[in-house]
Amino acid sequence: MTPADTGVISGGWGFVWAAYSVSAVILTGYAVSVLARYRAQRRRRGEVKR
Amino acid sequence: MKESRVPYGLLALGLALLVWGSYWGLFLAPREAYMGDVQRIMYVHVPTAWNAMLALTFAFACALLSLFRDDPVWDARLEGALEVGVVLSALLCMQGAIWAKPTWGVWWDWDPRLTTTAVLVFAFGGILALREFVDDPVKRATWSAVAAIIAYVDVPIVYFSVKWWNSLHQTQSSPETVSRAFHWPLRINAFGMLFLMCGLISLRARLAFLRREEETA
Repeated sequence: MTPADTGVISGGWGFVWAAYSVSAVILTGYAVSVLARYRAQRRRRGEVKR
Repeated sequence: MKESRVPYGLLALGLALLVWGSYWGLFLAPREAYMGDVQRIMYVHVPTAWNAMLALTFAFACALLSLFRDDPVWDARLEGALEVGVVLSALLCMQGAIWAKPTWGVWWDWDPRLTTTAVLVFAFGGILALREFVDDPVKRATWSAVAAIIAYVDVPIVYFSVKWWNSLHQTQSSPETVSRAFHWPLRINAFGMLFLMCGLISLRARLAFLRREEETA
């Protein structure tokens, strides 16, 4: 019985890791981008206390 | 808009829940009978979908309030919700493509759910581009609010596409159709993504508000 006969997918951990890695990279990258832009804008207004 | 530590707390809480939920989904939850380990993508894909739709629904509410209240705070919140909604929707398409390859045999298919989601990314992404091209803050707020209200028509179409048309994508799952063993990692990641989304929208809206203040000063 092959996977095509049973309809059962075997393996696939590479796809699982890819999905979680892409999610982690995009969410972390976007969060860092928002924080960096926000801090830069506040610095421009002189709001960040040194 | 007042300075507050709440968004940072939401980001930290969201991150912690996502790490916990993902660990549960990857290592503790049982393997699904037919999709095997590939089904574990659900624990990150479905929360992304729910929260992308929530962010864009919040953008729609902000667009209405921006038009009728004429308050720049709502325009700033609109910009924050639009950007976060577009990032989550684009991420949703990528996760979906990765899940589609081992289950459908292709990375992408122009089926109703996928096509309407792609339209969503480009429609709301286009509104963000429009905002960059309009210098007048009042015109920018009005035009982008009207465009966001029009683009929002696609959100219910995305949701109902799997019911209205013969879609390759599965229909919505409910607690009755998903095994109890899969509930907790899904819920933990859904709340993690929700807190992360709220923190990001809040910070991004403050950034938009500070920029507008600088423009009008």
